Order: sequence, then structure tokens, then C-alpha cells
Amino acid sequence: MIRPVEYIRNPPPAKISIEAWTEQFEKVPDEEIKRYTYYHNNDWGRYLFPPVLFMVYGARELKRLKLDNSFAALRMWGFVFNETERLFRAGQSDKKVIATMGDLGIIPIIIQSFPNCVPFYPECIWWTPFFRESTEMLDFATKLGIPEAACFSRAALSAFHKRAYFPRPEMVIASTGASCDDYSCIMQQVEDLGYEPLWIEIPLRRESQKYLSADKYENAGYPARFEDYLINEYKTVWNKMTALTGINNLNRLKDSIIKANRLRGMVEEMKNIAGQAENQPLPALEMMTIEFGNLYGYADMDEWINIVEMLLDLVRERVAKKVGVLDRNAVPVAWVTPSADPYLLNLVEDLGGRVVATEYVINQALVPVEENIDPFRALARAFMKSSLNGSTSERVKRITGIAGSGQIKGVIITNMLGASHCAMETRLIEKELQSVPVLAIDVPAPFGITEQIRTRIEAFMEMIR
Amino acid sequence: MELIGYSCAYVPVEILAATGLKPHRLLHGEIKMAQDGEKYARVDACPLVKSTLSYVVEHREEFRCLVGGSGCDMARRMFDILGKIVDIPTLVIDNPRTDRFSIYSDEIDWLQKELGNITGNKITADAIQKEILRWEALRRHFRTLDEKRRAQPSLISTADFHKAVVNYHKGEIDFPPFIPEKSSDKPRVYFLGSALPYEANPALMLFEERLRIVGDNNCGLSRFLNINCAETTLDGLKKAYYDQPPCIMKRPNRPFYEHVTRQIRELECRGVIAWTLDYCDNYEFELKRLENRIDLPVLRIRSDLSFQNLAQLKTRIEAFAEML
Amino acid sequence: MTELLTPRERFNLLVIDEKPDRCNVLPLITSHSATVTGISMREYYTDGVALARSQIAAIEEYGHDAISIFSEVGIIAEAMGSEFEYPEDDLPILKTPALDRTEVDKLAVPDPARDGRLHVYLDAIRYAYDALADRYPIFAYIPAPFTTAMMLSNPDRFLTDTIRNPDRVKATMEISLEATIRFVRDIINTGGLPLIVDPLASSSVISPRTFRGLALPYEQALIKYLHRFDFDVILHICGDTTPILDLLPDTGADLISLDKVELINAMGKLSKKMRIIGNYDTSAIMNNKPDEISHKVKEMVKLGMTTEKGYIASTGCEVPIQTPRENLKAFIGAAKEVGWYWE
Repeated sequence: MIRPVEYIRNPPPAKISIEAWTEQFEKVPDEEIKRYTYYHNNDWGRYLFPPVLFMVYGARELKRLKLDNSFAALRMWGFVFNETERLFRAGQSDKKVIATMGDLGIIPIIIQSFPNCVPFYPECIWWTPFFRESTEMLDFATKLGIPEAACFSRAALSAFHKRAYFPRPEMVIASTGASCDDYSCIMQQVEDLGYEPLWIEIPLRRESQKYLSADKYENAGYPARFEDYLINEYKTVWNKMTALTGINNLNRLKDSIIKANRLRGMVEEMKNIAGQAENQPLPALEMMTIEFGNLYGYADMDEWINIVEMLLDLVRERVAKKVGVLDRNAVPVAWVTPSADPYLLNLVEDLGGRVVATEYVINQALVPVEENIDPFRALARAFMKSSLNGSTSERVKRITGIAGSGQIKGVIITNMLGASHCAMETRLIEKELQSVPVLAIDVPAPFGITEQIRTRIEAFMEMIR
Repeated sequence: MELIGYSCAYVPVEILAATGLKPHRLLHGEIKMAQDGEKYARVDACPLVKSTLSYVVEHREEFRCLVGGSGCDMARRMFDILGKIVDIPTLVIDNPRTDRFSIYSDEIDWLQKELGNITGNKITADAIQKEILRWEALRRHFRTLDEKRRAQPSLISTADFHKAVVNYHKGEIDFPPFIPEKSSDKPRVYFLGSALPYEANPALMLFEERLRIVGDNNCGLSRFLNINCAETTLDGLKKAYYDQPPCIMKRPNRPFYEHVTRQIRELECRGVIAWTLDYCDNYEFELKRLENRIDLPVLRIRSDLSFQNLAQLKTRIEAFAEML
Repeated sequence: MTELLTPRERFNLLVIDEKPDRCNVLPLITSHSATVTGISMREYYTDGVALARSQIAAIEEYGHDAISIFSEVGIIAEAMGSEFEYPEDDLPILKTPALDRTEVDKLAVPDPARDGRLHVYLDAIRYAYDALADRYPIFAYIPAPFTTAMMLSNPDRFLTDTIRNPDRVKATMEISLEATIRFVRDIINTGGLPLIVDPLASSSVISPRTFRGLALPYEQALIKYLHRFDFDVILHICGDTTPILDLLPDTGADLISLDKVELINAMGKLSKKMRIIGNYDTSAIMNNKPDEISHKVKEMVKLGMTTEKGYIASTGCEVPIQTPRENLKAFIGAAKEVGWYWE
């Protein structure tokens, strides 16, 4: 009945509305829809569905968002929005679902080296209230006793209680230490639901300073023993996973690292060429989603890698053709700390901005993991480049670097009220950036972006243009 | 004498004193200081942290060195900020949240070496022993006072105890304090929560108009008395500080609740005051769990370190006292 | 027990084969909701905002688990040219079928923004979606092509034509299907989840043979269209569907709303393949006493909950307009009391 007369796999780049996506989707042949699956399941494992599906099922913000119109983006969004179902299907198909919390990017590499084990980050649920334009999950957390002036990641605690966003995890691995207090506090609450979290210590990354002399920092920029601490932690995770699965094969860990690096390499290339291209090849929201995929592949690393390959091809093609989704005169900015509200990224672009560089507190998920040394040490070294366990200056070094080069004209920092690191870092980041104009936005509760915020962004864009 | 400022209960004051500097616990906190601190941290930062920032900037000439711990994220980052805005050597020890003694031990070793280098006074075993004996003697004296506070009936008010404790934290250890006895049979309560700053004494006096605080687990009050260093060596010092009843930030924090509930029971308290600072995640997130675990009325007080609305606070305290 | 989930979360779990905290409770409260806001029927089915407000008021009054946007099954046929009368206090009545005045090749696919009262649905969905779609599913009841085709024609003539003029019937079905898909597209773009109603395909109206030959292929085609988007499709056929129970899985529907069938029989045939919705008798909910309703509903729900694919507690068909409120409350209260999956 559906007769795709003109099926264009990659139309001229644009950001389009949900209605336009529905119309475009109708041209996609059935064979394409059947081709892409997660967990190699042809029954419930399809995911090539348009944004309207998720909008009808409650993701109200999709009505306002404009998304990239490429086939690759369709595949990405269908996959990402499908994650809740995927996690439940994992549980139904006897995969072990493991909640990893707090470390943002390294422990899943360990988990993924065990067959049929699916790691995920409950913290990433913090986007759900915003996509849904609903404070319900946040209000639920308030009823649980979490203060309202707490980071939106408190939605993760609601998700644990509701059991409607992921199946009961086989194990909870909670990383605490030199990291964000909000996560640590939420992880502690999870104990009351009958979990015994495996607590992992995140060491402080203490960088070399002029008056410190006792430790030899060598090239790493921190005392070597911090790597040793982390190695112990990762071995603890490994041993627990071995006990859970009966498998103990370090070659699998090496393979998992290689796979993670493949993904990280593609994303790094994408970020670099996109940031330097004449025209923005992919919108900021899609780019942020791609970056966060490095954390755990949205619960199917293999399929996610396939999707990113397609996206990279698309970005290369658009960059080569010098085409993109924004006005060529869009003002290049850097974005520090991910926005809990995806709409803000759309809005900045609508108001003339172009995000060419980011620091999304997940540096440890972006850097390559060394492949020619002991895998645990390699993971430890990668983690020690984390965004949150060291100083703020180090965190924004990349941004201050490109600020100095003139590649960006301004920096946007999104803050979440009550988030411990946001409260302490923003002024320092502004200071580090010196003469680069900075716009700090407090992300309001879901559906709370006001005319005032819009006006501020507009004025900022005008100022830095 | 030049000061060595420090923040965390896990930083051994004896090592700091062994440098020859005077240890000064960074527990300054009141609303004006907190507002001044907003030049360096956002409005939704802990008011104690903001106060400390502005205090250190204003008194920078007095400090030779600063030492912090990574226990609380905002407190750790406070030192990150201080390192950029004042030209004072700033050291932060990694105070592990989980039970990892080896990390703590290595960090204390590192602290000892670095402080020696920075101050030019190598911290020897003898120096450590000497300071352990000095500070342990002072803590013994305070324990005696604390026993009177905890006694049935309580003989010393916590407000007066706090005034004396302030001297300890400010390194004024040469004159053991005297605290007048004021017996009270007002309802006995336990005090816990965010660290109580030096300037909070009026709040304590207000509480004790109708109640008597007989015990606490608070960095600004008697928490330091848990340090019992029997072995006068660096190793003994590490164990004493590491083994103190855990801070609420430790993970898992079950041992914190075990300790607190045991104290409440032993002290025959009839209620608990949970005093939290604005944006103090580590306590604010736990208030409901606290109430569930302590089968007693809990008075929740949230503070931004302004003690302006004392009338309203007074009414709440009176109502709470009536309930007890 | 304390409810942890919103109805949205509850429904979303059901359709991915997970047991929610309790079964969804969804008596088919459609035009009855106008009695909650006290508006006339005419206002209800001609003003989308009034319709939505009534639905929201009904949710607040009764506490059931979804919004139901529906007026009557002739809505697409009307947009294609069938004439209806609009009584003040009753639902629209077919006056002149379109094919009494024109030929099938003159029929056009209606534009939902302009033609007939299709926009009423869209206005209602839009309003309800903005109000509470974060917490509640918004179902839009869409007449299936067969029911629409019957409303475009004189029903007797239509059924006769299946033998005498099958080409005309096929053409009518095809254009009905196109019109339905066009409407459904706008519904989903507005935020509604289509719920297909095909009352005229019931065995109370047509034979199983006619169902298989005529209604079923077009139900399949419509559901296949919706399945391309991965929507979970509810199919409601009121009346007696016992003779066609074996055919219902072939429609492709994910959830089947049943009326005059023995639930145990239906479960025997469908439990592994389809989620079952139903099926408390609508006369009973109108006429019985609350205690009796409560007792029967509890029995029904305890049985229904053993459906392997999942179950929604509901009425067999639309709740009659004048159903006493305490009766509905008894239904919903009873279903909620015993419908717990989680301990």
C-alpha cells in the first residue's frame, strides 16, 4: 500500500519538524525498516521508527524540537528513544542488565566484555522529564525526600522506584569519590530498594602545581599511585562480573577496549571535522547525543557503532560538499556542561548559534584507551582524564585553547540548580576564559524555558556576532 | 603566628601543627561572608563554602598554607578556587568515600612530605609524637567536659561547649578551656547535620532556651573527640583519624546511622535536631532516611547562615519542645 | 497499595510485555464524560476543546487510565459526504449516506483540517495532549474502513453489493482506507494513539465470511500502516465476536477490546497472542447496583489478569451516557483493588 515513489536516503540537509519527519518516513521502504535491529532480533528488535512514535508515547518536547532530516539521524533517534524498551527486552531475553552509576564511561567497557551483559547509566534518565515536558519524575523524587534544589539527575532515583524505565538490574555499580555529590547521594538512596551497590572509589586527580614536589608526576600529570587505586577498583568489578557470569577471559576485555576505541575514534573525528567545517553538518542536539553514546552505546554497543559509522559517513559527505543544517553565518560557540533540556540546543541554533566545541563532563568517555598495555591500567589511565575528578581549569583547557585561537566567539555554560560541581565551577570557568564572552544559563525545570532566557540568548548572539 | 587553614575532620591536625604553623579550621560562616563569597561561587553553592572563600581572601595574609579533603565535592572544589584566587599553597588530600585505608594512608604520607617541603620544616616522627601528645591531652580535657554535657542531668550547655570548641578548631590549645556548669533538665536532644560554623552560637543559644543538646555528630562541635590516638606514631595517627565514626558522606553510610542511633539511645535523647545548610546535598538528601531510621521526632532546620528570622525559628523550637 | 506509576508509564510497560504495578483500568468513557462537565452532546461532538475538557474532567472524577477522544463512528464518512443529524442531547445520526447522492469515484479523501468534524478530533487531541499527555495516553477512536464504508452507504445495499457489485464495494473500501490513513496521520502528528473501532464488523452485524473477506483485509492494511511506525494498535469490535475469535489475531492488532464474548473463551484462544481489553457488560454498568458491579468486576479482573500477553480492565463497549457516577466509581475502584501485579 505504501509505494515509496521517491525515497531519498539523504535529502539536502535541514532540521525538520516532527510532521515533516512523519511525511518523510512514509517514503522509507519496508525493507529498510526491517533491516535494522538491535540484539539481532527481528521480532521486537526493530527500531527504525520516526520521532512521532515517541511523541505519541509521551515525549512531548518532540513537538517543538527540530531534528536532522537524514536517514542516519532517523536511525539514531529511533535507536536512542527506544532504549527503555531495549533494556526491558534485554532482561526478557536473559541478558544481565547492570546499572553503572557515577563514572560515566569506563566501567561499561568492562561489563561489555562479558557476554550477554548490558550496562547502562540510570543518570541518563535525567533527560526524560525534559523530553516529556513533565515534572512528574522530579516531583516523585521530592516525595521520596530528595530536595527540590537538587540536580535533575534525581529523576534516576524515581526511575529505580518506579521500575518503568529499566528492569531490576542484576547489579548496581556505584562510583563515588572525587565526583559529583548528587550522583553519590542518589546512589546511596538506591540501597533502600534492596540493592547492595558495589561501591567503586574514584580517586582525585591532583595535577602538578608549582609548590608540589614530593610525587613524581611524569607525563601523566598526577601521581602514578592513583592509577593503581583505580586498577584495584576495576579488578574488583572484573571479579564480580566473573562470579556473576562464570567467565574470566582478559582477551575479551582487550577486545572490548578495541571496540570502545573504534567508537571513540569515530566520534572524535566527527567532532573535529564538524567543528571546523564551513557549515555545521549535524545539529548540536544530534552531536550531543552521539557524544553520550560513548558512555555505553545506549545498551547495544554493536548496533550503536553501526549507527555511528553511518553518521560519520554522513558528516564526511556533508563536510566535503560544504553543506550543513545551519546558516553559514551562524556564530561559533563552545558549550560547557550538557543541558538537561535538549530544547536549549535547538534554541541556540534557531537564534543564530553554532556549537563547534563541547565539554560535556564526559571526557573519560571520549579519550582513547591505550591498547598496548595492561587493560586495567589502560582503563585507569583513560579514567584519570575524567572531567570531574580533577580541577576545573583542566576540564576547560580544551575550550580555553580554542577560545584563544579565535575558533569560537563565545561560550555557553548550562548549569543545573543544586548540582554540586555546577555551583562551584561556573565562576571559575568564566575567570579562566578571561576575555571570551560567557553566557551562563540556569536550566529551568521541564517546559520552563521562558521568553527571558530566549531574550538573553538572542542578546548574547548579537553581542558576539 | 602564621596559620595553616584546613577544612576536613579527616585532616590530622597534629600533622598541621607539626609544621610549626597554627592550625585554623575553616569553619567561618555567616550570611554576609556567604554573599561576599558569591564572587567566586554561585548562589546555589553551600553557604559555608562561600563564607570560607570570602574569609580566606580577606585574611589571605594570615595563611601560610591551606589543606582540604575531598570528602564533599563543594569543599574540594573550594580549594580548586582558592588555588586560583590567592597565592597560597593549597593541598587537597583524597579522603576516600569508601573503605580504602591504603588511599588515605598514602595521602597522609604525601601530606606530611609536601607540608615539610612547603614550610621548610620537615615533619619528623618526633614532631608528630609531640603534637599527638599535646592534642590528645587537649581532647582528653574536652572529653571530660563533654561527659558533663552528656550527663543526666546535663551540666554543660552545648552553646558554651561550642564557644570552647571554637578555640580548639582555631588552634588555641595552650589554655584548656573552662566552661561554667549550667544544669538543665530540659528535653534532651541530639544535634547533627552540616558543619556548624563559629558564628552560629546564637542559634545554639536559641535551641537551648527550650532544649538541651546533649550529644552531636557535627564537625563544628564534638566530632573531633572521636579521635583517640593511643599510638603516638604517624601510623597510629592515621588509624585514629581513619577509624573515627564515619562521616555521612562515606559510602555506604550505614555505619554513620549505626553510630548516630547508638549515641542517641545511650544519651537517652527524646528528639533530634537536623541542621542542614542550603544545598548541602550530603545531608539534605538523607533527611528522610534519617527520620525513618531514628524513631524520634526530628526538627529540620535549613539555614543559609543568616540568623535574621530567629523569631520564626524560636516558634518552631518551642513547638518542637512542646512535642517532646 | 500505593500507585507508583502514571497511566502513561503503566500502558507503556504493558505494550513491551512487562507487567506494570497494576492492570490498566480503562472503561470506555467516551460521550459519558459530557455529563461530568454538564455540556450538551452537541457541544461535546462539535467542539474539540469541550470534548477534551470533558475527558479531563472525567479523569479527575473517576481516576481511570486514559483519555478517549471519540464521538461516533460516522466521523470519516461525514467528512466524505454522508449527512448526519445533530441532536442536542444525543450522538449524530446518519441521515443520508454519501453514496446515496454520488458515485464512489466522486468520493474524495477528506482533509482533516477542513472537512466535516475531523478537526474536532484534532482540536481535542491537541488540547488533551498539551494538558496531560506526559501522564496519560491519549486514545483517538478511529472507525475502521469497513465501518466507514458502511456509513458511506446504505448498509443493506452495501452488503448486497458484496455479491452483486463487488467492484463498487472494493472501490468504497479502498477510498475509506485512504481516508482513514490520511486522518490517522494527522492524529498521530497531533499526539493521539489511534484505537480502531469496527463495530459494524461484529458478528452481531455481519457473517464471519463477510468479516474475513471484507473487513479483515482492511483492518490488516490499516494496522500494517500503523505498525510501520511501531504503534501498538488497539482494535475494538463490539457485539458478539465469538464466531471470529480465531480470526482476530490475523488482524495484526496488539490489543483486542472485546464485548459480548465469554472472557474465559477469548482468553483460551487469544491469551498468548494478544493483550485483552474488556469486557464488563455495558447494560450492567448502567443498570446494576454498585455492590454488584464491584463484585463482578473483581471476578472479571482476577481472571483477565491471567492473560499471558496482558490485560486492561474495561467495559465491553462505550459506557452509556447516563451511567450513574457511583457505578463507574464502583467499577474502577474494584478493578484497582484487585488488579495488582506487583506486591
